[in-house]
Amino acid sequence: MAKEFNVLITGVGGQGAILMSELLGEAAVKDDFNVRGSEALGMAVRGGSVVSTIRIGSEIYGPLIPMGKCHLLIGIEPAEALRNISYLSPSSLIILNLRGIVPFTVSQGKSNYPTQDEILEKLNRASRQVIRLDAACLAEEAGNPITANMVMLGAAFGGGQMPVKLETIKAVIQSHFPAKLAPVNIKAFDLGYQACQQAVKN
Amino acid sequence: MKEPAISSDAPGEKLLMLGNEAIARGAMEAGVQVAAAYPGTPSSEILETLTKVAQKFDIYVEWSTNEKIAFEVALAASICGVRAMASMKHVGVNVAHDPLMTASYIGAKGGLVLLSADDPWAWSSQNEQDNRYIAEQGYIPVLEPSSVQEAKDMMADAFRLSEEFKHLFMVRSVTRISHGRGDVVLGEITRERRKGSFKKDRSWLVYTPVAARKNRLLMIERFERIRQAVDTLPYNRLKLVNRARLGIIACGLSYSYTLEAIKWLELEERVSVLKISTPHPLPQELVKKLLKSAAEIIIVEELEPFVENKVKAIAGEANIPVKIHGKNLLPVIGELSTRKVTEAIARLTNSKPPVNFTKLDKLSEETAPILPWRPPTLCPGCAHRAALYAINSAAQRVARDYGKPTEPIYPGDIGCYTLGYLPPLEAVDTTICMGASIGIANGLAHVVAAPIIAHIGDSTFFHSGIPPLINAVYNKANITVAILDNSATAMTGFQPHPGIGHTATGEETTSVKIEDIARACGVKFVKVADPLDLKKAADVLEKAIRFEGPSVVVLRSPCAIIEQREKRQRGEKTIPYYIDQDKCNEKCGACIKLLGCPAIVKENGKTIIDGPLCTGCGICVQVCPHNAILQES
Repeated sequence: MAKEFNVLITGVGGQGAILMSELLGEAAVKDDFNVRGSEALGMAVRGGSVVSTIRIGSEIYGPLIPMGKCHLLIGIEPAEALRNISYLSPSSLIILNLRGIVPFTVSQGKSNYPTQDEILEKLNRASRQVIRLDAACLAEEAGNPITANMVMLGAAFGGGQMPVKLETIKAVIQSHFPAKLAPVNIKAFDLGYQACQQAVKN
Repeated sequence: MKEPAISSDAPGEKLLMLGNEAIARGAMEAGVQVAAAYPGTPSSEILETLTKVAQKFDIYVEWSTNEKIAFEVALAASICGVRAMASMKHVGVNVAHDPLMTASYIGAKGGLVLLSADDPWAWSSQNEQDNRYIAEQGYIPVLEPSSVQEAKDMMADAFRLSEEFKHLFMVRSVTRISHGRGDVVLGEITRERRKGSFKKDRSWLVYTPVAARKNRLLMIERFERIRQAVDTLPYNRLKLVNRARLGIIACGLSYSYTLEAIKWLELEERVSVLKISTPHPLPQELVKKLLKSAAEIIIVEELEPFVENKVKAIAGEANIPVKIHGKNLLPVIGELSTRKVTEAIARLTNSKPPVNFTKLDKLSEETAPILPWRPPTLCPGCAHRAALYAINSAAQRVARDYGKPTEPIYPGDIGCYTLGYLPPLEAVDTTICMGASIGIANGLAHVVAAPIIAHIGDSTFFHSGIPPLINAVYNKANITVAILDNSATAMTGFQPHPGIGHTATGEETTSVKIEDIARACGVKFVKVADPLDLKKAADVLEKAIRFEGPSVVVLRSPCAIIEQREKRQRGEKTIPYYIDQDKCNEKCGACIKLLGCPAIVKENGKTIIDGPLCTGCGICVQVCPHNAILQES
């Protein structure tokens, strides 16, 4: 059994980070791992930065991932992934959605949004493996743009390091959604999974 | 409704739970029969979870109008022999403080548990207060979980202990427990249901001075028995290591950070650890044992040096020569973390952390300047945006008539609309506590010459806005109170309130009308307006501000999130707006500068509306000077 596998999910309130960590955590418990995690709820979710943590394994303690100890970063929003750079180590795997969400403060001229190159340059310096994908595009291919979070979750499994079994997470997704919505979410998961596997091979 | 996993009747089963679900489950396992609360982050999901199982397990569950009432509801049930709880955020306990300080004189007949969810770092709060001090003031014993599993177990045990010692107990959670997740092994759900019975006993329940003096003595005796019992309570654990120089006292959640820090530093065989789960009263014998075994001690606890000061007193009184550390090495501000605890312990043991924190800090510092500022913001379509915009326009018009340059003042309150302090609205000048908008407005009216417009949400108005409104009438405070009625307690998760027409468990009930209350309070100018019609709303507000004496405007429009959700359920489509680029003047940007709606963005120098985000509220149309915003057909 894995001793410790720390997953950090970063994004913007409303992108579905909480659901992702809930599904991942539930699957990990079904596979008989110990699980700890933490959510941003309340004030933080009104369009602000959000961070969810899920820690899986036999030797895990608190709900928070210590700095430098993240094994897998799922960045649903690229600038928010960058905001959490101090949790990374050279061996962290980063799954990065390239589709950014520009906050209203940028339109108002009160702050700036970094370019894709700036974001990638910094993340590449912090970690050896950065896998990029366009989750919105794959979610549309799956049939609903709202499933971008499932694309990201699939990609997280496609990275090949996740201690939770593939069939377990798929069963959890299947049973979470009403029968009508499950297929599109599973399809989004599969597309993310394949895209990430492809990227790992290249 | 899908049956929540926490109602599983399979003891021994392992489930992933949110801390607040685990707390609710613990109460179910204890056979709680009455649960009352007022929503507040990070406590809201406790009662919300119980509403979903209320019918199946025959639990009376209510959203009370405020925390004082929630606690009194639970107290009454306990007096009648029924197991009861009240849950609230840390500052909610301030509202319940009045009955709480006498409740401990009463003690408990049916198990009585107060759940206080504290919020170190004030993630979603106005302060970082440490409620262990409130518990101490009221002779209330505190159980403090170190994990989600313990949160469930302690909650269940708290009811048992409460009945064993006939005393009220507090379970103190924190954000990272309440909003943490963890695997939890279920216990058995108690199905026994008692019938409440009220026995008249005036010497116990009527707090005249004579009764107070008598019951205070009894309370102190009860508390003394609890003090003696906590040394053997299994949640408090001492692990002594032979010849260890350092002893660590780890409280509540900090215990998990401490264990991880010890593992990181490979100190398992070099330090002794005392896990403290009852900061009040402390397990004194365990503390003394640890103090005698080590040359140095560090107390690891979040927020105030509550346990630290007590440990220092114990050491002094027992004449134990030991150096005691705590807040000299750990911050009083914010949450602790494995890193902070590791650094503190590393200093005392001359060991080296396995992670180069300095390097990571540098990386963060270098990255910070290119990151965008992303504060939480009012949602697209939020009626509060319209309301605050209308308030601003009306107040500025009136302020101009003051002759010299005068700024209107906006005392604000607690809720989503607090976010209106941000640019571009900047329509919140004070936020202090629930209901303070109107209280502060009362005071301002007597000392400054300016239009004073307090604004407060619907749920907050019911919670604590009514007495200060009566005060304004009584003491002739010339203020305007705008009540932003979006028909929900939105910030905490859309819980119902007295104006909604249904209870926590979905039963139909009388809907209390805010405008009726305002009139009954004696306010002579009371109007209702739709904030999404900016001009009309501003006109009504202007009249209200010009009115001599207190005035009330109810700005009523449903929460956009709820409305969108209901529309989707009905299969109705939202028709978004778009910007006609031929008519739009690129240099203008009025829509962005005036409203700050997240659905209106700049893209390649052009102002556009992000279709999927737009709810079709239409207020941008009303501020566009070029008639460039149109609705899709």
